[in-house]
Parts: sequence; structure tokens; C-alpha cells
Amino acid sequence: MSNEVVIKSNRSGLRLILDNETPFPELLKIIGEEFRQRESFFKNASMAISFEGKELSVEEEKKIMDVITENSSIQIVCIMDKDSDMEERMRLQAEAVRDYVLQENLAVLESMGGPADFYTGNLRSGQVLESPSSITLIGDVNPGAKIISQGNIVVLGSLRGNAFAGAAGDSSCFIFSLDMRPLQLQIGEYIAKSPDREKRGRRLLKKEKNTASSYTPQVAVIREGNICIEPMTKGCLDR
Amino acid sequence: MSEVIVVTSGKGGVGKTTTTANVGAGLAMLNKKVVMIDTDIGLRNLDVVLGLENRIVYNLVDVVEGKCRLKQALIKHKKYPELCLLPSAQTRDKDAVTPEQMKELIEELKADFDYIILDCPAGIEQGFKNAIAGADRALVVTTPEVSAIRDADRIVGLLEANEMKQIDLIINRIRMDMVKRGDMLTVNDVCDILSIHLLGVIPDDEQVVVSTNQGEPLVGTNSLAGHAYQNICKRLEGEDIPFMDLDVKKGMLGVLKGLFKKN
Repeated sequence: MSNEVVIKSNRSGLRLILDNETPFPELLKIIGEEFRQRESFFKNASMAISFEGKELSVEEEKKIMDVITENSSIQIVCIMDKDSDMEERMRLQAEAVRDYVLQENLAVLESMGGPADFYTGNLRSGQVLESPSSITLIGDVNPGAKIISQGNIVVLGSLRGNAFAGAAGDSSCFIFSLDMRPLQLQIGEYIAKSPDREKRGRRLLKKEKNTASSYTPQVAVIREGNICIEPMTKGCLDR
Repeated sequence: MSEVIVVTSGKGGVGKTTTTANVGAGLAMLNKKVVMIDTDIGLRNLDVVLGLENRIVYNLVDVVEGKCRLKQALIKHKKYPELCLLPSAQTRDKDAVTPEQMKELIEELKADFDYIILDCPAGIEQGFKNAIAGADRALVVTTPEVSAIRDADRIVGLLEANEMKQIDLIINRIRMDMVKRGDMLTVNDVCDILSIHLLGVIPDDEQVVVSTNQGEPLVGTNSLAGHAYQNICKRLEGEDIPFMDLDVKKGMLGVLKGLFKKN
């Protein structure tokens, strides 16, 4: 590799570092050779290019471009200014695009209730599942276990322990379970406990058992400052 | 290949030691070489249930600390020569042994026995950690009471977290008459909460107290609980034994008693 022309690449393009002392026609020749040698390496990549080390006129830049396209199949997308913050700007631009896509995805997610985590298995007494995002648990939450989320909680199984949705204070969150028999529910700043065990008559226990075996999916939400458990019906979460 | 089974429950008094003694004796009756290890250091009583307390010279802690050879500490059962007990120390506490030492001990015993049954202490502290360290399989004992089930659930969670290969459930002291009246949780209720494989159901039986006090395992005797333990042993051996009907027919006296209760 010659010292007159150094080709460097970064994430978004090529940097040509040109020797200021060498006359332009000679540089042109060397650039042509360099690119011909690396033709197979670059193939027909499309990239931005920048020049450093030598002041170039617009005409000279165009000439270099011509030489590059002549000697290789690189598609030059654009010419960037040579200064050192160029890379920074390229990075920012790339990030802006990425952020935009991310924002768009997030917006979609947000409209669906934010990002959610999936878990499978049973939460047993003493175990705590905590997540900053919404939680979907395929399994049971047993008495003594706790499930905590800053978003919503969906339990595809029995909820017999404690659940805390909207743990960062969001009272618009909901808790869903196929079999809602929790000890305690918390949504945002609201808290509700299960009804105290009644001194049940002999038959009562049996009756309760019957309803338990044919349970209905239920959802807990805040209604006028109280936690309400309602049957999960179409549209019951729209307000 | 020998199987290492830990009998555990979390809550105390649900029948871990009774189950250990009966399952151990039952397997010995099936001509298996069995060693039972009492890991309840400081509160030993498996030796009492087996009626072997007067034969203890060396114990688990002595073996671990190298004060005696393993063979010296093993006590042969008076009735079943294939059944051995490694008693725990009464004067020390759970910290006298580490899980690593237990693993070593179990590896040594594997050469000579088909089954190694560990009687776990109540609780989830050091004693529990020692007991489960070398085990391949766990029998979780519970009674049909919410408090026992809550603890059993915690234990199952801990066993799962410790990657126990197989966890089975034994429901102890069930009373079918109470279940029928709706005053006791049913077998299904318990299985529903714990969601692990059910290995056996032991009915509440007066004979258990009698056999414990006499230091004679119940298994093999003609009692309901004895049969239930025998079935568990056969299931451990891989036989497919159906669950027995625990609903005993009431005699004339029972029927009369029932009549009076209703009024």
C-alpha cells in the first residue's frame, strides 16, 4: 500500500486519506490502482466516501469518483465532508433512523399495552416474579407467591397468591386470570384483599368447590377508586 | 444403580419420619438393600420410630468427622437384615455437616445399597440443604391442611430450583369421612395446588401411633395405612399399583353414631 493514498473504512463509508504533497494526477493514478486491486473485496457495495489530507476542488472530487467507478463496481452514494466529526454525524444520522424505527415500534407496542414478558411454570410459595414490563404467566401463582409488574399481569392458570400490577403507580393496569382466587391484589396505589374465610357450614365448602371447578376467566381493574373483579368479556377493558 | 430419595415436607409433624421408616422397611421387605439416613441433627427420632435407639454407638457426624468408619455407624434393623440406619447426632446442630460432605457420604453408600433414603428435618435451612444435596428424587409429604400444603409448595419450589430430577407427592393422614362431609381438602384439591405427581395417599390410622410407640414399622401389617405404605414401595419399584379405596365401610356402631351426629 502506498503512503500517498490510504483507504480506511468505517461503519458507514470509506475514508480516503490523501497525501498533500503528491500532485493530483499522480494521486488519481494511485487511487485507480488501489481500487482495482480491491475490486473483489468491495464488490458492488454502496457506500459514502470522504476525503482527508488534501484540499480538493469539486472538479477534482468528481474526477476521483470517476476513477473509482471506472476501476471498481462500488456505488458511491454521497461525498461527505472530511472533518473528524463526520463520523459522528454519520453515526447520529444512523441512530436517528434507528430511533425512529424504534419509536414507531414502541408506539405500536404502547398501543397494545407496552412490551410484555412471557413466563411458563408455576410460581410456588415464597417465589416472586418481578418485571418492569407486563407479564404473561402460563401456569399458576400459588398462595404465598407474588407476581409484580409495572404493567399488566395475565395469568393463564390459577391466581391464588398475590399480584401487583402497575407497580410504578399506574392505576390503569389490569390483572387477568383464568381462575381468580387471589389472596391480595394491588393495582397502582390501590390494594384489595380477599374476603375473610367465613366460618363455613359443612355444605358450604362443597358448594365453593363446585364453582371453583367451573371457573370463569376474570379481570381485575380499578373502577371509581376500587379494585373490581369482573368476568372477562369482550370490551370490558375499553373505557 | 442405587436411588437416593429424600423425604421432606417443610412443615413439621406431617409424617416425614414415619414415612421414611415405613418406606424403608417396605422396600427391605421387597428384598432391597436399604439404608436410611437421619439428617435431623440435634433432633433425631428416626431411630426411635424404628426401635433402634438403644443400639446407637456412632452417628452421622462421627462418620463425617472421621471419628469412625461408615460401616461402624450403620445399625442393622432387628427384623430386616437388609435394612440399615445411619442415625444422626443428638448433641450437635445442623451446621456440623455440609452439603458437600453429605454428597461424599452418599457416594460411598451407593456401592452397597439399592436405596438410600434421607429423612429431612422440618424447615428450609441448613438441615434441608444437607438432606437434598445428594438426592436424585424427592418424596414430599403433606397432610390435607392448608398450612402443610403451603409449606409443601415452598419446598417443591426450592427442590425445583435445586434441579431435583423427580418430585413425588405423598398425602398423609387423610380422613375420608371428613372429606365426604366437605370438612377436609380432597386428594384432588391438594394435587391441584401442588401440581406434582401423586405417589400415594395414607389414611389417618390409629395404628400409626401404636406402631411408632412400639418401634415397629407399620408396613406389612394388616392395617389400611400399612397397605398404603406397601403400595408406595411397590410404586417406587416401578410397579403400576392402582390407588386403593380408602373408604372403609362403617360397622353398625358407626352407622348409629352417624345418625346421632346429624340430629
